[in-house]
Amino acid sequence: MQPSPRDPGGPEIVTQEHLLLDAAERVGRIRDGRMAVHLHLSRLRPQNRQEGYLRVAGRMLEPMVSTYRGQIFLLTNSDIVFLVNQPSPIELRDHIHRLRGLFAKDPLANDDSGDGLDLFCTIYDLTFDYDSFIAMVKEALAEARTRVRSPHATDLKALDANGLSVVLERLTMLDAAPFVRRQSAITLGGGGHAEVLFQEFFVSVSDLQKAIAPDINLLANRWMFQHLSATLDRRLLEAMRRLRLTRAPPAMHLNLNIPSLSDPAFQGLEQSLPDGVGLGIEVQILDVLADSRAFFEAKAKLKERGRHLVIDGLNEATLTFMEVGRTGADLFKLDWTPEMQEPHRRDAILNALKHVDPAKLLLARCDSEAAIAWGMDHGVQKFQGRYIEAMLAATTMGVCDKAAACTLAQCTNRHGVITGPLRTECGNNLMLDTPPAMRTPKRKTPS
Amino acid sequence: MSQVTATPLASTENLLLEYIYKLERHRHGRSACRIRLSLLQSMNRREHHIRAALSTFDGLIRRLKGQVFALSNTDIVVIFKDVALDEVQAALIKLRFLFDDDPMLMHEDDENHPPFIEWYVVDKDYQTLLRMAQSLVNEDIERRTQDKARTEEATTAPLRQKRRDPLTPALLAKLQTALMGADLANMMRRQAICAVVGQAPPQPLFYELFFSIGELQETLLPNVGLDSSPWLFQELTETLDYRVLSLLNRHDDRSLSGDVSINLNVQTLLSQDFLAFDDGVKSNRRGTIVIELQKVDIFADLNAFLFARDFARERGYRICIDGVTVDSLPFIERGRLGIDLLKLAWDASLVEGKLPDGSLLADYVRKCGPSRTILCRCDAANAIGVGQSVGITLFQGRHVEQMLATETQRQRGGPAASARRRP
Repeated sequence: MQPSPRDPGGPEIVTQEHLLLDAAERVGRIRDGRMAVHLHLSRLRPQNRQEGYLRVAGRMLEPMVSTYRGQIFLLTNSDIVFLVNQPSPIELRDHIHRLRGLFAKDPLANDDSGDGLDLFCTIYDLTFDYDSFIAMVKEALAEARTRVRSPHATDLKALDANGLSVVLERLTMLDAAPFVRRQSAITLGGGGHAEVLFQEFFVSVSDLQKAIAPDINLLANRWMFQHLSATLDRRLLEAMRRLRLTRAPPAMHLNLNIPSLSDPAFQGLEQSLPDGVGLGIEVQILDVLADSRAFFEAKAKLKERGRHLVIDGLNEATLTFMEVGRTGADLFKLDWTPEMQEPHRRDAILNALKHVDPAKLLLARCDSEAAIAWGMDHGVQKFQGRYIEAMLAATTMGVCDKAAACTLAQCTNRHGVITGPLRTECGNNLMLDTPPAMRTPKRKTPS
Repeated sequence: MSQVTATPLASTENLLLEYIYKLERHRHGRSACRIRLSLLQSMNRREHHIRAALSTFDGLIRRLKGQVFALSNTDIVVIFKDVALDEVQAALIKLRFLFDDDPMLMHEDDENHPPFIEWYVVDKDYQTLLRMAQSLVNEDIERRTQDKARTEEATTAPLRQKRRDPLTPALLAKLQTALMGADLANMMRRQAICAVVGQAPPQPLFYELFFSIGELQETLLPNVGLDSSPWLFQELTETLDYRVLSLLNRHDDRSLSGDVSINLNVQTLLSQDFLAFDDGVKSNRRGTIVIELQKVDIFADLNAFLFARDFARERGYRICIDGVTVDSLPFIERGRLGIDLLKLAWDASLVEGKLPDGSLLADYVRKCGPSRTILCRCDAANAIGVGQSVGITLFQGRHVEQMLATETQRQRGGPAASARRRP
């Protein structure tokens, strides 16, 4: 066996940081007119520093760097450092400006940290700043060493066609009921009351992944997952037909692909629906676009039968760039992210929200009080997410005769499942299935 | 029934045979080797072994110095230009290393043992090579027929009507492997996007380069409907992206001359392969290249799209949104997306001149820009008339091709030529 390159006892790996140090030391002899630029791309949000983005960023600099006889280094931590010789200051500024534009969505690109310091990039005029530059390079090298020697323990494989084939096979025999989760959505009524609007039932992909494909990331490849989701639909519909709750929620929502609505299993579910229980279908915007004709046909049929249609998984970008209102859906689910409350996103968000009627908007994935506060400030009245689940559980515990034996986390988890030990552990299943009457969450008064 | 065997299910063997036929006139300066993975112990030829073995030739394929065929009996055939001999030798060393604990390789020096690698000098051994490929095709057909007979026995009486099987992930995986080694140059098609104003002859603006999916299907998986799953198909297009980029990277390829459009995925635009392609394009040519992106791909990750769009435009490429239908039209605003062109697929319902929400198509076209809206899949004459009636001036499709051909013929004095033809 050859020693692994990641073996601490193995040979030293030549990293970009080594090359950078070499180049920096060479430049040290003639510093006049030389400039170095350090782009702190490692400070970008993870979703904004994907490999492809960094590759492209490096590429955008290439023409200028070659014009001014320089070099580019893509560091292990995703930072980029480049050296240039007597560059035109205007051109240098222009290029940095264009790169900044490319990452404009990230707060890093326009944040000056209040003290005038640019967090996005540091420019070194090597005639004067050589020492601090070389110190930075040495620090980067030291950091890279530890990084290379402590690789990520477990990287899950992305789902590819072969993997999908295996996963689908495993799914054929699987009872999905243990993986079905439910989550309640609430609406704020008048008079300080909040009530449960519906419960959404879905297959928990992360739990399913742990059970049938622990080494694969089922969500890593969008197209593969889309294909997989058709089978998940069928498993969910089967599990729902065997659903036994002590009390049905006011309405049940299911996340389905449009073709699944023609599946006999869906019609079976519709027929077995208890009287007075509403049914809502949540679809992804991608599914609407993939076959818009099928979508409009399905919508007409659903409306005929009084079903609710929900567009799920919206974000600022989809609201901004797509006329989602034209789907004619009854409800639009916007996914909450903490970035939405950042001051520099404010105008963009307000612009995005213009396209939907606030009465038809639901803020999903609310996992904190901040999410609710933001929603209320923006006229949203419908909420869903982990924070809401905890609120409901807390309210339930306030009135449940068996509450003394439970913690809030237990009650929350038991609310989330439809079968299995978690549910049987609960001393009062009726309480678990009965939506409690809640007070409207209080808005924090700004200090 | 005997005709069933004429359309075998898997056809890497067929591709190989076809390739060897084509090589007949280019025998000089090429060699071939067959790597007998099928002789290894079964535990050494699982799928990941084969994939690892195939990947040793990735560089060769990428630089277009050779073709690799992964046969259904797990053997690999590599046909390459002699300039790449060293490279192939290096790959074989790596490959031997992969399997060096297999008895097959341990006894390789033994003369009584069949060789692990069979060598062919194409010029000299052409007939032997041809016979080998032919027998491989026959073996494969035999195996398939047996498999088929077995499954037919197991199921109820098969239907005679030709119904295509759906594309499954397993078939997709096979297809992706086959595509990585196949030369797709002969499946590349081009179709003109033309300005058609009034009765004037069509003026080509640029040409779309694309792989004929129909032909790909017929050659590689004749009994499978590649479009049966939109998502698996979308995944397949990512594989095709890499093939189209490597084809266009060929310096001797003339398909890139003139103004063209190519179909790519957003993720491909951010890949090393695209950057390599971009390297090969002269800067003044970029402005004449249009990149077509599918609507689902754009909306699947808008942030990635916005990033890739800014990059592509910065480099000078133009962007076109493809796959738009009359039903999805209301959701899409070209200007807001910052896209240069929009391709709307012809549909008979366009005759009504309305979108699903009742608004006027003519208003949409005016807003989108008459010179930025392309009506594609115009296979019949009325498509042009209907498109023109709502203000569209750009057209693409079989009928447009026909108009172009007629026009060329007319310019060459075509009607006179046909009059001279004898009855």
